[in-house]
Amino acid sequence: MKELKILYLYPDILELYGDFGNIQVLKYRLEKRGFSCIIDSYSIGDDEPNFNDYDIIFSGGGADNEQSILSKDLIQYKDKIKTAVKNGVFFLLICGSYQLFGKYYKDVDGNIIPGLEIFPYYTEAINDRKKRCIGNIVISANINGKEQKIIGFENHGGQTYDVFSPFGTVLYGNGNKFGDNKEGFFLDNVIATYLHGPLLSKNPELADYIISYCLNRKYGENVTLEKLDDSFENLCREQLLKHFTH
Amino acid sequence: MRNFFIILFAKILNVILKIARKQGGNILGKIALKLNKNLLKDFKVNSPVIAVTATNGKTSTNNCISYTLKQAGFKVVSNSEGNNMETGIVSTLLKNCTLTGKIKADYICFEIDESYVPKIFSKFRLDTLVILNFFRDQLDRNGEVETLILKINEFLKTYEGNLILNNDDPNVSRLGLANPNNDNIYYYHVDKYKYATQELKEAGEGKFCPFCKTRLEYEFYQYSHIGKFHCPKCNFGENEIYKFAENIDLEKRSFDVSGITYKIPENSIYTVYNHLAVLCVCSIYNIDTEFVLKSFKDFSLNNGRSEKLEINGSNTFINLAKNPTGANVSLRILNEDSSNKDLLFVLNDNIADGFDVSWIWDINFDSLNNVERIITSGTRAYDIAIRIKTSGFDHTKIQAFPELDKAVDELYSTTNNKYVIANYTALQPTRNEILRKGKIL
Repeated sequence: MKELKILYLYPDILELYGDFGNIQVLKYRLEKRGFSCIIDSYSIGDDEPNFNDYDIIFSGGGADNEQSILSKDLIQYKDKIKTAVKNGVFFLLICGSYQLFGKYYKDVDGNIIPGLEIFPYYTEAINDRKKRCIGNIVISANINGKEQKIIGFENHGGQTYDVFSPFGTVLYGNGNKFGDNKEGFFLDNVIATYLHGPLLSKNPELADYIISYCLNRKYGENVTLEKLDDSFENLCREQLLKHFTH
Repeated sequence: MRNFFIILFAKILNVILKIARKQGGNILGKIALKLNKNLLKDFKVNSPVIAVTATNGKTSTNNCISYTLKQAGFKVVSNSEGNNMETGIVSTLLKNCTLTGKIKADYICFEIDESYVPKIFSKFRLDTLVILNFFRDQLDRNGEVETLILKINEFLKTYEGNLILNNDDPNVSRLGLANPNNDNIYYYHVDKYKYATQELKEAGEGKFCPFCKTRLEYEFYQYSHIGKFHCPKCNFGENEIYKFAENIDLEKRSFDVSGITYKIPENSIYTVYNHLAVLCVCSIYNIDTEFVLKSFKDFSLNNGRSEKLEINGSNTFINLAKNPTGANVSLRILNEDSSNKDLLFVLNDNIADGFDVSWIWDINFDSLNNVERIITSGTRAYDIAIRIKTSGFDHTKIQAFPELDKAVDELYSTTNNKYVIANYTALQPTRNEILRKGKIL
């Protein structure tokens, strides 16, 4: 049986906005199609994981306080994570993790939390704790050569600069910065974004893009994914898109 | 003199509102505060002020305290309808004061919104503050839990009154150290109950010691992050316990404190915690145990919070859930009942609910016990349907009806026991629809 292995980084710390739902969606969509899905987790104090052994590495968002605690831990794996990115392991990084994979995060008090420096963007919080980009967001992203509307919810104080390859164009909401027209960061095998929701729950085509990418990479063939009953997802998207863009 | 006219005006307005059958929960306060923003300072209060704050359980706990004190024969002024911000507090006081601003009561009992504790009690008398718990709650409206706790901690640094704290919530227990000069700290603790676990089962906060950042160790989790914990490095959490509940028996709906058995109407672990907090208050104010026993046995809110109804022959349990912990404790009650059940989950995303519904992914829908069907409704009916489907519950047994009347009709198409969970703005419309269905309304 074909299987995908997912590594969930810091599940006990980076779990503020139900981001674990992304992994549940991937698992659900794999198992419905007869593939198996193994989920391992890594957190502070655990043995070093073999990053290259995984098909997908997922990491979510957390509270500021906890983010600084784990930044120190994550940085010891900097080179190994860089290699995994180069090797094509798929990275799905939400919110705080998006920030941590860049150069640095400067918090409200001006403290610098160093990032992994895997990508050249950096993030700075606005001086005012009360000012955050909060709300529903819709972006248009190019998935498999097709423009897709991606729906999520953003809630971040950090403003991310110098993103050379954004995830998508903002149709509704803020994006990387207040009033920005670009959101997130996107390479073939990396999606880094502020979109909670969780992201994949409302965007099944994006979930399937990740699944196809990983199966094709692992098994060296063009896997065709069986269609699933996405009626709830489709009704949900229809309702929300109508609500947000009208 | 100005206050005299403000109070007079508010009282006249209150009469008009009453005639118009409007509650005016916040409106009196809103207007009065526009006329004098420091009005809270000017009320004349000669009775103890008891306040309850928390993420979950404020209304029930505050009402149970008031009810018990009334049972004991005292005159109590309270914001029993749950208007818990400054405008609501001022409204309650305006309704209950003399024209000179004097509050005639033996006790004043308030539930206070977590973020309003410093604002209100920098201007108003406070004798006893009860803090039940802190959970993640409407993050898009309230921000991170930590920010809120730091705000209350700052206020407590100079507070010297009674402080009643849940020792089983690290984020509450830590507040006992805010003012080292305050000798009036009372911690309460609940012994392990039947469904307590070794591992965290639901989303929780406060995994690290707030003082030395070491990971906290838990002997057991009761629900969410509530449980017996301590810091292995600095011993945070090891406090002298003022009231300790043991022999928790949810089937018999009872628990023991100091050898006395208390009966309560609900069968959930979180209500044991709330009742124990009430017991601490009563003990501090020397209320006779006889009244406490009777009040615990009789008191219930009947407003859709942990409410039981019989509708067309089906036992129906309705509960509010505005955050993951609220939903998780309701699902605990559902899972602890082994009969065949239908679940209705109503999810709205109106302003008062918060626009962000991603918290539903922190609800533990795994291994639901004998649930035959799940019906979802509300403005985000499809979101909650997707959430439940992804947890592994057979998607052909989930039906989504954004329209509430259709959802309730469908719910009562069988005679199974019904469990109904609704978030903030969904609760009363759902309850009303159910009452209409049962021809009670």
